[in-house]
Amino acid sequence: MSTPTITRKISTRESTTVTLLLIGVALAYLLLFLGLPLVAVFVEAFKKGWQLYWEALQEPDAWSAIKLTFIAAAIAVPANLVFGVSAAWAIAKFEFKGKSLLITLIDLPFAVSPVVSGLVYVLLFGAQGWFGPWLQAHDIKLLFAVPGIVLATIFVTFPFIARELIPLMQSQGKEEEEAAVSLGASGWQTFYKVTLPNIKWGLLYGVILCNARAMGEFGAVSVVSGHIRGLTNTMPLHVEILYNEYNFVAAFSIASLLALLAVVTLLIKALVEWQAKRSGEPLHHGA
Amino acid sequence: MSITIENLNKNFGSYKALDNINLEVNSGELLALLGPSGCGKTSLLRIIGGMELADSGKLLFHGEDVQQRDARERNVGFVFQHYALFRHMTVFENVAFGLRVKPKKERHNEAEIKRRVHELLNLVQLDFLHDRYPAQLSGGQRQRIALARALAVEPKILLLDEPFGALDAQVRKELRRWLRRLHDELHITSIFVTHDQEEALEVADRVVVMNKGKIEQVGTPDEVYAAPATPFVYKFIGNVNMFHSRDHAPWAAEHGDAVAYVRPHDIDISRIAQDDTALPVEVKLVRAIGSIVRVEVALDSSSEIIQIELSRERFDSAPLVIGDKVFIRPRQFRVFESGVLNELSAA
Repeated sequence: MSTPTITRKISTRESTTVTLLLIGVALAYLLLFLGLPLVAVFVEAFKKGWQLYWEALQEPDAWSAIKLTFIAAAIAVPANLVFGVSAAWAIAKFEFKGKSLLITLIDLPFAVSPVVSGLVYVLLFGAQGWFGPWLQAHDIKLLFAVPGIVLATIFVTFPFIARELIPLMQSQGKEEEEAAVSLGASGWQTFYKVTLPNIKWGLLYGVILCNARAMGEFGAVSVVSGHIRGLTNTMPLHVEILYNEYNFVAAFSIASLLALLAVVTLLIKALVEWQAKRSGEPLHHGA
Repeated sequence: MSITIENLNKNFGSYKALDNINLEVNSGELLALLGPSGCGKTSLLRIIGGMELADSGKLLFHGEDVQQRDARERNVGFVFQHYALFRHMTVFENVAFGLRVKPKKERHNEAEIKRRVHELLNLVQLDFLHDRYPAQLSGGQRQRIALARALAVEPKILLLDEPFGALDAQVRKELRRWLRRLHDELHITSIFVTHDQEEALEVADRVVVMNKGKIEQVGTPDEVYAAPATPFVYKFIGNVNMFHSRDHAPWAAEHGDAVAYVRPHDIDISRIAQDDTALPVEVKLVRAIGSIVRVEVALDSSSEIIQIELSRERFDSAPLVIGDKVFIRPRQFRVFESGVLNELSAA
C-alpha cells in the first residue's frame, strides 16, 4: 500500500518546470482530443438557441430514431446478458471439448469490422442471399427492418458481458460452487445464491459497456438498416442523414443526446467501479 | 457410515492419478490420506465426495453403490483447503446455507435454523463472530466456520482436503488437536488429506500412505511408523538411514543385494566395538534440539553420513564431541530386497 507513495517521491525529483510542462502537455492533449469534441457537440446543438434544439428533437423522424435505438438496446442487452452469463459460467466453471473454440467465437465480433458483420447479414438474409427466398416466401422481413437492426446490434455487442465475466469467474475458482453443491444446493440455487452475488458488480459493468455500444453502433446497423426515415433509422444513422443534408442544428441536437447518454453511462460506470471497490470485488477489464 | 472402495481407477489424460485403489473405511473412524503432492490423495477424496468421477471401480457407502449419486445427494460434508466460504454472506448465513437450500417440505422453520446455527457456532466456539464476513476472520477461524457449515447438514461422512494446509504452524497444531477432540465427540466417519506426516500420525486413527496413485500401506500411526511396509513409507514417515548391505552393513550382509533401513533413534553408539558387526565411525556434528541430541557420524569406510538421535539423558551419560572415533550398531532394522520386505531379517 505504501510503496506507490515512496516511488512517486523518488520519481518526481524533476524540476518544477519539467513537471508542469509534462502535466501541461498531457492535459492539453486530453482537452484537445476528448474534451473539445464533447463541448463542440453541445455548442453546435445550441447555436441557434433552445427553441430550435427542442424542435429538432421533437421532429417525428428524430423521435422515431430515438425510440428505435432504445428498442434495439432493450432487446440486445438482455439477450447478451443471458448469453454472456451462461457462456462465462460454462467456460469458467466447467471443462468441456471445444472450449477454446467457444472463446474464439465470442471474440469474433471484436475482430471483425462492423461493416463486414452487417454485410454478412445481407448475404444471409438479403433478397439474393441464402435464406432470402425462403424469408420472402414466408413474408418475413429481416433486412431493412427492425429485426435486422436488432440482430446486427446483438452481434456487435455479443462479447461485452461474456468477456467481462470470464476472467472474473476464473479468478474466483469453483470451490464455492462445489461447497454449495456438497451442502445440497441444486444447480440453480448454486447459481443465484453463490455465483451471481459474487459477480454482480462485474456483470453490471459489462451491461453498461454493452448498452453503450448497442446505442452507439453505426457500421453494422448502417448496412442492414436501409436508412428509411421514421422506420429503420437509429440515432447514429439519423445524425449522419441530417448532417449530409446540411441540417447542422438538428444533426448536433441528436448527437448531443447520444453524447449525453455516453456521459451518463460513464457516470454510472464510475459509480459501479467505486461501489465494487468498496465491496472488495475486483473488476477485470478483460474486454 | 462405512466406505468401501474396490479397484478404483482414475486417469487425467495419460496421467494415472489413481491406480487400482482398494480401501475399507470403518464407520466412525478418523482416517488420514497421507502422501506427497501428486500422489492421488486429493483425487481419491474428491471421488468419494462426488466432485470427480472415477473411470472404473466401485465406491460403496454402507454397502450401497453411490457412484451414480450426485454430490448433493451423497450427504457428505466437504471442507476445503482454502475454506471456500461464501464471501458475500455473514458467518451465520454461511452456516445456515445448507439448511436454507433444503427442499421446502424438509426445510426447518426460521427459529429452528437459528437454533441449529448458533448451536454449531458454539460447537466451534465462534458464536461471537456470527455477524462478521469471512474476509474479517483469521485463517483458523475461517476453517472452523467452514467445518461448522459442513456439519450443519448432518453429514454421514466428513471429508477434509488439507484442512490446515493454509494455516501457520502454531494455529495448525492447535486446530488439529481441536479436530481430534471434536471427532471424539461427534464420531462421524471422517477422511482428511494431508502431506504432513506429523499431522497424520497425531490426529488419525488409521493412516493410508499413498504414492504415485497407489496405496503403499494402511495401518495405525504406530504401525506405519514402527513397521513400514515399503521403503517409500520408511522414507516418507520420519527420518531413516539406509545401509546398502554390499558396501557396509555386516549385520545385513547375508542378504546379498539388500538395503537395511534404520531409524536415527534405533542406533547405539559405543566407544568400544559392541561386536564384530559394529561399524567404526567418526563424529561430525553434535546438536542439541530440545529434548533430543542429534549426532551426525561419518562411516570410516565410505564417509557417508549417518544420522543418530539420542535422548538427552542418554547423551549426557556418555557425551560425545566432534572428532570422536566411535562404533555404531542398530538396535532395530528392516531389510528390503529390491523393494520387498524380507520378513525373516526384520529384527
